[in-house]
Amino acid sequence: MIKSYIKKIISVLLIPGMLVISGFQEKGSIYTCRNGQASFQSDAPLEVIKASSKNLTGAINISDRSFSFLVPTKTFEGFNSSLQKTHFNEDYMETDTYPNSTFKGKIIEEIDLSVPGTYKVRAKGKMYIHGVENDRIVRCDLTVSEKKIDVTAAFTVFLADHNISIPSILNQKIAEEIKVEISFSLTSADN
Amino acid sequence: MRKYLLFIILIFLCSITVFSQDLDQIVGSLTDNSSPDYANAAFKGTTIVNGQSTEIPGHMDLQFNISHRFGAINQGIYTLFGIDQGTTRLGFEYGLKDIVGLSIGRSTYEKTYDGAIKVKVLRQQTGVKNIPVTVSLYQAVFIKTLKWEEPDRENLFSSRLSYATQILISRKFNRNLSLQLAPSYVHKNLVPTPEDQNNIFAIGAGGRYKLTKRFSINGEYYWLLPGKTADDFANSLGLGFDIEAAGHVFQIMATNSQLMFARGYITETEGKWSEGDIYFGFNIYRVFHTGKRNKKGN
Repeated sequence: MIKSYIKKIISVLLIPGMLVISGFQEKGSIYTCRNGQASFQSDAPLEVIKASSKNLTGAINISDRSFSFLVPTKTFEGFNSSLQKTHFNEDYMETDTYPNSTFKGKIIEEIDLSVPGTYKVRAKGKMYIHGVENDRIVRCDLTVSEKKIDVTAAFTVFLADHNISIPSILNQKIAEEIKVEISFSLTSADN
Repeated sequence: MRKYLLFIILIFLCSITVFSQDLDQIVGSLTDNSSPDYANAAFKGTTIVNGQSTEIPGHMDLQFNISHRFGAINQGIYTLFGIDQGTTRLGFEYGLKDIVGLSIGRSTYEKTYDGAIKVKVLRQQTGVKNIPVTVSLYQAVFIKTLKWEEPDRENLFSSRLSYATQILISRKFNRNLSLQLAPSYVHKNLVPTPEDQNNIFAIGAGGRYKLTKRFSINGEYYWLLPGKTADDFANSLGLGFDIEAAGHVFQIMATNSQLMFARGYITETEGKWSEGDIYFGFNIYRVFHTGKRNKKGN
């Protein structure tokens, strides 16, 4: 009597449990990227500032179209002088306190990313920069090929949205609206 | 029976864990941790108050330094608390590869020229290597160019020279607090009397605490090791603050040292805080970048 009771429990709990495991470990559903590129440009009346990072990492689960991307803010290089880079890290982005900038969410369009082709999609999610999270929709161009997804996107970030304040003396040198460009290739995590 | 149940529940919990082992964790595991995470900008200026900090100008940054100390405030209203008098040092500092700093300067005191090299030999970092401190070596030479007091006797150029060597060791404890130790050695080729020391040792300690992103309070003390110099002169104490604004650092201070080069403030500090021999002063650092720059329209 007791043994059959246990067997019931096993069938009721364990089997769906295993299904959950297999469902989320489904082979080939997760694509990842290590050395993606993120660059930004501040286009102010008196000065143009450019910097980029090759340390963008991210992952997409193509079965539910969720994604998560991260770039360590300290890894941005470029700028017009090393003092400017120091100010970027120390005064504006405060990278000791907020080391990462992230974007996490889901692709709105219900497309099958295992089918090769080019897609224009909207990525909806939470963009976290300088400790402030905003809901954003970012238009992306996706090129899907065998076991690889290339992604490019361009969007703007308003400094005020992320509580990044510029001294008024510098408002001719630092734009309030920063252009950001992202480009990376995701490969199937199985590889 | 209970064991079975526990086991089953455990397995079920495991499956939930996998369920919530989301993309964030995958992304976190992908992040490259091999590049060192440097603790930069322990100090805003290349000096803390009078004395050198471990910092050097950034790569290809040229820094113009204007330093000034007014007269002693205990002279009272007649000199407007020392404002009538003052000594000045003008200098340039240049950074190479974020490791080497070169500087030249001239002080009005004894018409002294100074030249120095500061090399960052260790950088505080975490990551693959864990280095808790930044260490900079500072070597300076000072050339007194006053006319000889007795031009008729044989005067050697080497008599004009003196040197300072410092090992600057700093640690940025957090974004606000940085402290520094500075074992220092000063050599003077010529001293006024045979009893005076040619070789003088001192230990400096200093730090800064940032109250806001662009404002910090700074303090610094140089302790002379016992000897004739320590008997004749005072230990240097400086208190001040940094204000940073758009490529400038303004350091405003009160100190008992009127001289702004290492031999001067370490071994020739005359003022006594207890007697009000305090000098107000400022250092202004302006940074120019000498490399290529993205001009508007490019």
